[in-house]
Amino acid sequence: MNSEFENHMQRQPMRDVPPQWRARIMAAAQPKPAPWREWLWPCPQAWAALGAAWVVICVLHFTTPDEPRLAGNSHSETPQTFAILQEQTVIMAQLLGSIDGDEQPAALPVGPKPRSEMARRQLFG
Amino acid sequence: MSSAPNIERLYDDHAAALFAFLLNLLRNDADTQDVMQELFVRLARRPALLDDVRDERGFLLRLGHNLAIDLMRRRSTRDRNYDQLAREPMALFAKSADPDEQMFREKLAEALGELPPDQRAVVHLKLWEKLTFEAIAGTLGISLNTAASRYRYGLDKLRERLRPIYDEIQ
Repeated sequence: MNSEFENHMQRQPMRDVPPQWRARIMAAAQPKPAPWREWLWPCPQAWAALGAAWVVICVLHFTTPDEPRLAGNSHSETPQTFAILQEQTVIMAQLLGSIDGDEQPAALPVGPKPRSEMARRQLFG
Repeated sequence: MSSAPNIERLYDDHAAALFAFLLNLLRNDADTQDVMQELFVRLARRPALLDDVRDERGFLLRLGHNLAIDLMRRRSTRDRNYDQLAREPMALFAKSADPDEQMFREKLAEALGELPPDQRAVVHLKLWEKLTFEAIAGTLGISLNTAASRYRYGLDKLRERLRPIYDEIQ
């Protein structure tokens, strides 16, 4: 049994909930999309295009051979090319020599001689 | 149990009681809103929490009480002294056109702020939620005797503090 004092306190009405709280709290309580969806949401088409471009890049990367074809060919042709170039140089030197007179064409440097041969020449004359 | 409409219905049915209880405990509008928001967000994320609940009001008050206690513990060790905050004047009751009643309400709010939070919670649930001691004990997770004794101590302090003004306006 409540006393009169308790009854008097009980009759004092509490403040009401501020009305604007309802909208805020309900908005917060709404289920939110997954974080990755939120991140992609501003421009999903752009992200899709970027993803497609990466797929194309990956497909091209895995379907092409490791060594480019041109590089392989040029590597195999290098001695032949060098021989042709050397031959042309000799011909050019002969032609120039015939114009200039009796000058013999200078021997063309074929490339550095092996060090072992140079060393043997120095040792044995 | 579908979430969105149920949350709105729960809010409309129980927000006023939760607000008054939490405001009396926390003595601060911003913290009260934080706790209420946390409570409804939890219910929205896990609607199954209410599946076997018979007394919705009691369940929500208990959840709100637990969240408020957690907040008070976190804040009291960090940046706020809740004992000090509880003593600061704040609008707990509706305004009254009668100056005597208005003064009584202000003094009552102050006197409630001077009670320890444990006693304040019991006094609130007894006087303004009109719960039995058994229901209060269930809501706060305490024994029946503890609920009754906390109410007695709290009421004695309020009576002592408010008797002069109460006698004056009678």
